[in-house]
Amino acid sequence: MSEPYSEMARAVKSTDTVRNIKKYAPTFYARTKLREQEGKKLVWTMVGVPPELLVAFDMVGEWPENYGTLCAAQLIATGFCEEAEAEGYANDMCSYVRNTMGYLRRCREVGGVPPEAPLGGMGNVHLLLGSGWVCEPRYKWFQAIATHYMDVPVFNDDPVSPAWDTDLEDPRIAEHYKTQLRATLKAQVTFLEDIAGRGLDLDHFRIIMQRSHQAMKFWHETLELRKAVPCPMGSEDYYTAIIPQLYLLGTQEAVDFYQALYNEIKARVDGGQGVIAHEKYRFSWFGIPPWFNLGLFNWLESLGAIVCVESSYYVKKPPELDFTDPVEALVDWIWQEAVERQKESTEVLPEVVNPGRFSALVGSKLVARWIEEYKLDGAICHRLRSCRASSLGEVHFRNVLAQIGIPTLIFESDMTDPRAWSDAQIKAQFREFLEMIDASRAKRGGRG
Amino acid sequence: MRVAGKGLARAKELYEERGQRAKELRVEGRKVLGYVCLFAPPEIMHAAGVLPYRLRGDPREPITSAHTYVEPLGCPYVRNLFDQDLKGRNAFLDGIVMSHSCDMVQRVYGIWTYNNKPPFQYFVNVPHTLVPWSREFYKRELGFFREKMEQFAGNQVAEIKLKESIRLYNRSRALIRELYELRKLDPPLISGTEVLEVLVAGMGIPVEEFIDLLGEVIEEVKARDGGPERRAARLLVYGSVCDDTTFVRLVEGSGANVVTDDTCIGTRSFRHDVPETADPLDGLVDTYFDDFMCPRTDRGTDIDRFQYILDLAREYNANGVIMYIYAFCDPHKFDAPDVRRYLEQAGLPVLIIDDDYTMTNLAAIRTRVQAFAEMLR
Ligand code: SF4
Ligand code: SF4
Repeated sequence: MSEPYSEMARAVKSTDTVRNIKKYAPTFYARTKLREQEGKKLVWTMVGVPPELLVAFDMVGEWPENYGTLCAAQLIATGFCEEAEAEGYANDMCSYVRNTMGYLRRCREVGGVPPEAPLGGMGNVHLLLGSGWVCEPRYKWFQAIATHYMDVPVFNDDPVSPAWDTDLEDPRIAEHYKTQLRATLKAQVTFLEDIAGRGLDLDHFRIIMQRSHQAMKFWHETLELRKAVPCPMGSEDYYTAIIPQLYLLGTQEAVDFYQALYNEIKARVDGGQGVIAHEKYRFSWFGIPPWFNLGLFNWLESLGAIVCVESSYYVKKPPELDFTDPVEALVDWIWQEAVERQKESTEVLPEVVNPGRFSALVGSKLVARWIEEYKLDGAICHRLRSCRASSLGEVHFRNVLAQIGIPTLIFESDMTDPRAWSDAQIKAQFREFLEMIDASRAKRGGRG
Repeated sequence: MRVAGKGLARAKELYEERGQRAKELRVEGRKVLGYVCLFAPPEIMHAAGVLPYRLRGDPREPITSAHTYVEPLGCPYVRNLFDQDLKGRNAFLDGIVMSHSCDMVQRVYGIWTYNNKPPFQYFVNVPHTLVPWSREFYKRELGFFREKMEQFAGNQVAEIKLKESIRLYNRSRALIRELYELRKLDPPLISGTEVLEVLVAGMGIPVEEFIDLLGEVIEEVKARDGGPERRAARLLVYGSVCDDTTFVRLVEGSGANVVTDDTCIGTRSFRHDVPETADPLDGLVDTYFDDFMCPRTDRGTDIDRFQYILDLAREYNANGVIMYIYAFCDPHKFDAPDVRRYLEQAGLPVLIIDDDYTMTNLAAIRTRVQAFAEMLR
């Protein structure tokens, strides 16, 4: 089969909505210009911090990890990572972090934004709003930035997640965790109130939370539609479509985007239209993708393989909530999802209490259910050398899936740093995996 | 039944036998729980009549069994502990207790207990930031842990018992500090390797016996001729869990004396006594949450948060620091560039060794340590 894709390719999107995402989320994409014009406080923040809070305080956000994906896509990240390593940040540390540290080192070196920085750089930050959710690198990252490069106020939230065998049915235990969650969110609000010089406007925040809930409902329902055969949307669209969910929740832009996407995907399903006409293999994907090479998904599709569901950033069905007290609604939302996730067996997913309300890895019971519901032929795990949070546990999944007869491919690379990509070797691994599935089908006389 | 050796010889024996004493006590009916980090305070287990046995890795043995369940990209120390468990080395234990010292431990706890279920398992959760509500969370965790220990051991952990355990552990801390005093001399009266043998020996025996052992060791060391030779390089070792003497032995065989440390099993664990508070859990929170200097705890962004390392170095007349850090250890690696900068600016040379716990690059490490020691002459 011919392979028209180059080694490091940008993804060719399949949906109009995602292709035109800039139309739906113009303020996100024009954020550098906007913050210059508006003179608002610029916050560096991260996923895991409820984006609704930035909306409520009318603060402009920059997400260094998103900037990392951008640097990765433009193949600039290697240079920044090397800068960070020269500063003493080890090369097994998170490459989003190394990308940021290298960027900052270059800023110091040139006395401003380095010319190679995409989008005109990350702006002059006034405060760092971090999160202890999902991994230690996250709060250590902002701590290190403020120790090493700049003196700005920092707040890291501290949402503690139960171990997989903790009994959340015990009301004492549930209250114990919920108390911590509520306290850390309230402290985050107080920190922002101090910086903004005004209290949180609850009426405004209620509207923001309702919008957020609406957007997430549309998004979840869209993900459900991907169970259809043929699958109406692949990872090349998914990994761009997560942008509003991660960074823009609480805005009308996010609602409009997910509503439009839902409509488009629904029409596809109703018309029996898939991303590829002849699906030979349907997969789930674990881990963050290689941002510098999202074209990989197009390449897979050229081989008849489609990814129908991804573990990272996966959104569950939002629970019904009472928005009278919108802060409490947020606490409830996070907590109810945590309890649900824990039931899905979270032996390798300790971070269920997630203020961002999406997944990193998912539980082994949920994976088994996905196999049925999405009619999957196998799982693909991207083992990230520099991210333990999304990689450690993939072998465990492989074992769980093997017990129900589902094969898993684990391949190693990185999310940001293209030095970890070896094209020929990785593609050979994929081909072998597909051949293996063919062979076992031939043996069983099944689909193929 | 105690074996004949005394003092340093006894410590060495216990160090090498790996759990022999705990096994004897188990036969005598004592319940023994393996634990991974001090965030699950041994005082609470002790007060319930349980023998807390700190799990050990074995760097001399490559990881083989654990690969079946967990990828190679994660803390090599924790994976090594799991590997030892899979190989049956913990068969004498009544169960295991782990705590959220860091993400690695919590993740591996899940995979471990799912795939190799121990007779009893428990996880003590620990927040990361030094704020009042996180302290309260940890205090409640300790309360739950205490209840769990009562159920497990069938013994009530009365306040008075817990206070007594705290006093005993504080006694052992005071004795360790006394032992460390002997390292301040030039040459030190006791080597870093010997000290580590004593500390690791203490992790596997009842605190009452450890107190006796420490007493013997102090007496013996004070009286002996022929401790370590005088060396120009007097080093502080900073880093992750060091539960094996291979590395310190290598440093001391490369022309240096190791005179103090900032490690989990070393000074971090005994610099501060547990205050004897009205509610004993408050004292435990003070010590294990606030004062335990693991970089997994967020202590803000002021670079002076590293001053305690400088103070330690000065107190022990160290003239160089080796940061011994394991692969994939995020908590330590994030601080490393700043710790290094801070110490170097204060005139203390620093060498960073990034290792995989098993010292597969022994020769390369030796060369670097030798060059570093040479430089300090
Ligand atoms: S989850 Fe992974 S990629 Fe994200 S910040 Fe943590 S280490 Fe980095
Ligand atoms: S702090 Fe570092 S050395 Fe200790 S268990 Fe965690 S990753 Fe391993």
